[in-house]
Amino acid sequence: MIFLTVGTQFPFDRLVRAVDDIVEEGLITETVFGQVGQGGCRPRNFESVACLDKEAFDQFVRQASRMIGHAGMGTITVALNNHKPLLVLPRLKKYHEVVNDHQVAIARRLSELGHVLAVHDVEDLRDGVRRLETFVPKERKAAPHAVAERIQRFLDGLQD
Amino acid sequence: MGTDAEKFRICLVASAGGHASQLLELDESWKGKDAFSITTSRALRQKLSEYGRVYVVGECNREHPLRVLRVVLQCARIIFRERPYVVISTGAAVGCIACYLGKLFGAKVVWIDSVTNVERISLSGRLVRPIAGLLLVQWPELTEKYGHVEYAGAVV
Repeated sequence: MIFLTVGTQFPFDRLVRAVDDIVEEGLITETVFGQVGQGGCRPRNFESVACLDKEAFDQFVRQASRMIGHAGMGTITVALNNHKPLLVLPRLKKYHEVVNDHQVAIARRLSELGHVLAVHDVEDLRDGVRRLETFVPKERKAAPHAVAERIQRFLDGLQD
Repeated sequence: MGTDAEKFRICLVASAGGHASQLLELDESWKGKDAFSITTSRALRQKLSEYGRVYVVGECNREHPLRVLRVVLQCARIIFRERPYVVISTGAAVGCIACYLGKLFGAKVVWIDSVTNVERISLSGRLVRPIAGLLLVQWPELTEKYGHVEYAGAVV
């Protein structure tokens, strides 16, 4: 199963429609399930919901063989933590999909580092979907404990 | 005031999505402390309730001034009631609002700028920088670009 997610806050019809077209063309043969956001367009060629709660969301992620999504950090993090190959299309400010173009920057950086696949135009999505079939994400070594420790040190300093 | 733990009450703030997931990665830093959280989606209520009371306020960003105003009022009521000693936020707009309101009531501010800010600190982070006691970025090169920011690693 390919899990398509555009987050829960805003719709991202540009991506949902493009994936819908690709499924219709038969380029994706696997089952697709989508979380398409509140008020988003509903695909005709696969099942979708507007919004999943965290538990259901995590379950879809675990069941998925691959993921397609916006370049939101929630989506990227969950894919990396579950070692799922993820193809992202960044939301763009010019289409009013987001307030700034931070998704472009993070998609570019993380794809350069081999953690995700990124395409920046819907026209390239077909190619992205093909590459996703064999893409193996590089594991990302984050340091949440070191960051938490730094915060804890700051908090302890306040209490002295 | 009440117990020692209540005196050091922590306010956790993150809007739904990536900001919240980055905040949740840091939960060991406030473990055992009296805390409450402010977020923007009911879907996070259950997860955040592990750390204390949860307040859900409206979604807002700079493009909708009226919504920002509403969230300012919502947060003001919460902060006034809870009187946190520290506000810890990973963003975005709601975090910025809560940090300033917390500061107004004497709280210290900890800001962890999102990993998505690769080339520069977020607008919210830049606004919070002058009042932050600790501002952490997630890409080391950002410490060269801005004063009074630290890199301790990437959260995700």
